[in-house]
Formats: sequence, C-alpha cells, structure tokens
Amino acid sequence: MNVEARMAFRPPVDQTAWLGSDPIPAKAYYDPEYYEAERKAIFCRSWLQIGHVCELPEPGSFIRRELEFADASILIVRGKDDVLRGFHNVCTHRATQLVRDAEGRANGFVCPYHMWNFGLDGRLRSAPDFENFFLAKEDCALKQVAVDSCGGLIFVNLSPASAPPLKEFLGEYLVDRLARTPCARATEFSEYVYELDANWKLDYDNFQESYHLKFIHPRSGAATFTPENPFGYPESFGFHGPHRTQMFWPHVDVDAATPTQKLIFGAGARFAMEKGLMPNPTNREYYALFPNFFLFGSPTQHFSHTVYPLSARRSRGVIRIYWVGPAQSASEMLAREYSFLVVRDVHSEDVGVIRAGQRGLNSGVLEHLHFQAMEGLCRHLFNVSNAMVEEYRREAAGTGDAA
Amino acid sequence: MNGEVCLPAGFAALEGFVAGWASPTTAARAARRSASTPAEREAFFAAAAPLLEAAMAHLDSRPLAELDAADKRLLALMMALGHVQMAVEVHREMEPQHAALREAMVITRSVSDLV
Ligand code: FES
Ligand SMILES: [Fe+2]
Repeated sequence: MNVEARMAFRPPVDQTAWLGSDPIPAKAYYDPEYYEAERKAIFCRSWLQIGHVCELPEPGSFIRRELEFADASILIVRGKDDVLRGFHNVCTHRATQLVRDAEGRANGFVCPYHMWNFGLDGRLRSAPDFENFFLAKEDCALKQVAVDSCGGLIFVNLSPASAPPLKEFLGEYLVDRLARTPCARATEFSEYVYELDANWKLDYDNFQESYHLKFIHPRSGAATFTPENPFGYPESFGFHGPHRTQMFWPHVDVDAATPTQKLIFGAGARFAMEKGLMPNPTNREYYALFPNFFLFGSPTQHFSHTVYPLSARRSRGVIRIYWVGPAQSASEMLAREYSFLVVRDVHSEDVGVIRAGQRGLNSGVLEHLHFQAMEGLCRHLFNVSNAMVEEYRREAAGTGDAA
Repeated sequence: MNGEVCLPAGFAALEGFVAGWASPTTAARAARRSASTPAEREAFFAAAAPLLEAAMAHLDSRPLAELDAADKRLLALMMALGHVQMAVEVHREMEPQHAALREAMVITRSVSDLV
C-alpha cells in the first residue's frame, strides 16, 4: 500500500460515551424469564424485517414466513391492487394453517380442511354450507398483521393496532439511506440460513463489533487490518432512535488479495460500476435496524442478516446477498458466487465463538458482561431493548395492581 | 474418463476435473469443497487457477444466456475454483475446521445455480 495514501485513524471512542459504561447484566443473554419479557415487549410489538419486494413480483405473489417466537406463521401477499398485505396463516373457521408452500402465486387461499375460500385481500369469499353457521362472512376475514416496505425491504408488525408507521419507526435518516442502497433496487438474492445455540443478542452482537476481527478472521479479514487501524475499527458510529449505524474505514490493504481474488473481485467491481452502483454513500455503511436486522454495505453488493429468536438460548439467522438485475455474463455470475461464498466462509468463523459464548453464559457463573467503547453498538442494543423490557414490566405490574 | 471432450477448446488441461468439480449448483460446489481432500483441492487449484483469466475471457465473449453445455461446465469449474481458492489460499491448514463450521450455514438459494 502506498504510504502517502495512508490516513491517520482515530477510533471514535467519544461517540459512544453517552451510552454509559456500566457492566451489562449477563442474565439478559440467557435467562428464559428475561427472554419471555423481550418476546412480548420487543418482538411482538416491533417492526421486523421479513423479506424483500423482489420476492413478490406480481399480483397474487405470496411468501410464508415462520415467526417461531410468536408461534406465528405469516403470509405476505401482493393483492390485485398491487398492495402488500400480511395475514396470519390461520383459517378463521377452526384455525387450520392454510398455506404450506413457502412461496408461490395464487388467486386466493383455500383451507384444506373444510374448503373455506379466502381472497388475496383476506376476505372470506365462500364456504361450503355457510348458511348453517351463525356468522356473517364479513366477520370471518383472515387476521391481519401490519406490512410496509422501505428500500425494498419488507417489514411486518404483529401488533397492527399499536404499530407506528414504519417510516416513523425508522426515522428520516434511515429512510433516506435505505432508499439509496443497491438493495432497494435488487431483483434477486442468494441466501443461507442457520440455527445456532445462542441468544439472539449474543449472535447479533458478533456483527456489531470489529474488536474480534483480528482474532477470529486473521486470514479472511487480512485486508481490514492496516498499521494505522490494526483492529479494523469503523471510522464513526451513528445513533438513530433505537437503530444504529457505523461507517467502515475505507483504507483496506488491497495487496492482501491473491491474484485469483483480484481477478474475481475486479470483475465484480467492474459490473457494479457499469450498473451505477459505485460510488454510493451507502457502500461502507452498516445499518442496524432494531431489533434484529442489519444491512452491511460493500462497494459491489449489500448483504443482510436477520436474527430470529427461537428461545432464550437459540436463534435462527437468514443471510442474503442482494443483486441488481440478473448476471449478464459468466464473469458477473462468477463474481456473485464468490461474494456469496466469502461472506459464508467468514461468517462460519464466528460460529464457534458464538456457541462458546452461550455455553459460558448458560453456566450462570457471570453476573455481568462488559462492552468497551468500540463495542458501543452492542451496548446500545442492550440499552434500548432493556428499556423496553423494563417499560413492559412496569406496564404489566400496573395492570396487575389495577386488577 | 472415457476421453470424451467436455470443455471448450483450450481448456483440455481441465478435462480430468469435470466429473469431480463441475457441479451445477452453489450448494453442490460448497459441499464438494467440504468433502474434498487437501490433495484433491491442491491439484484442482494448481490446474485451474492459471486458466481463470483465459476462461473468463472465453466465456465473456458471449452473453450468459448463449453459453452452450461445454461453456457452462467451464463456468461451473471456475465457480468451484472460487470455493477451492478460499480453502487453498486463505484457510490453508485450517480448512477442515472451517468445513465443520460451514455445515451450520445451509445454502437455500443462489443466483449462480446453472439449472
Ligand atoms: S378449519 Fe379451515 S375450513 Fe375448517
Ligand atoms: Fe466475525
């Protein structure tokens, strides 16, 4: 690397000072009772990223998504009017799940049990021998969840009556930035999925700090470590209500790439350039959307990660790399394959320490965990979610008193 | 091998790797890498890496949609080379541990499946 091109790096430790410095209660990362409060206070009430508009290209397109933390199966449907709607995948007759396919195209949904027939808008269209019921069809529509999208990303909220508008929840800055990411224009994606014995925050936090990179990714992350920024820390942090961002340090060591890597990465960069994806202000920004989603900028493509809690000590992750338009040439396809496999390779390196962290937590031997200034995003997630848990507990106690 | 020509002209050096490495899907390529021995990976990498640039030039002379069966096999081989490159050049002796950890990451969709 050219010495003249090197810039001084100062870790932005002062940007996280406002978050405090207290040790963090370890229980929040393994205790079933705490998780139960989080489930109700956070996951059953917040907007959750669940898919991408490219999965629902035309009227009648639908996807089914399982939200295990709520025992919920959700259908997202594009209506004849082109509007996205969300429903519980539960027949209003006697609760049978309507749809078994994970995705597809339909004119409506017919329950396999007694053939109740629902429209794409969730209304009950017909039901055999309906005269024998003691019901009006208008009262038998599928139960709705709130659905909205931003920057191509689809979000649901399981409490439609109390959900703020999605754009209000995300705030002006994030709405503006998300709309400018390549993900907002994406037409296709590659995906891998995992289940892991780890609390959702423990799992998610691994991707919120750069402190571990040098130790867990010494080879795969080699380009990130430079003499002026040996930990590969971000250059700045941003806090936006419950959400947070960080800006990656752009001065990577390009000489760390081997000739084969340079050839493939070079092709990827060329295609991103041709599609007008570079330069883009979102290319090295990381968007952590509360509670469990992040989008990770890179010059050629963006990748996302959603961490779904399964229990206090287990989670499921969905990782996607989004692409704008189909590959036009063999090199472009090769570059996409390579980006995908590198993300999966690097991520695999984290799995061992995340599992080991949960095992350590489960022993109950630690009362507290500790976050340093450059682990401020992890602290912010804890502060925000813990405040919601405490608020929920106050509410619940209040209700108890009144009763 | 029955001596049949499976790849475009100029890539005869890779004919012996087609049966083992030219898998059509990303998940199959990832699985093949994880199941391979160090010797298999090194032999494939040593043969294929020097031909990567020529393969890209050959394959890019036509739109992706117009590649014939031999071209697609060459493309599948070059994508497999990407997987093997990570093993041979990056993880090196740590590859077996990495393979075990990658098992948890189940590939559910890929834009570079050739099927
Ligand atoms: S349970 Fe669906 S029609 Fe009876
Ligand atoms: Fe990591």
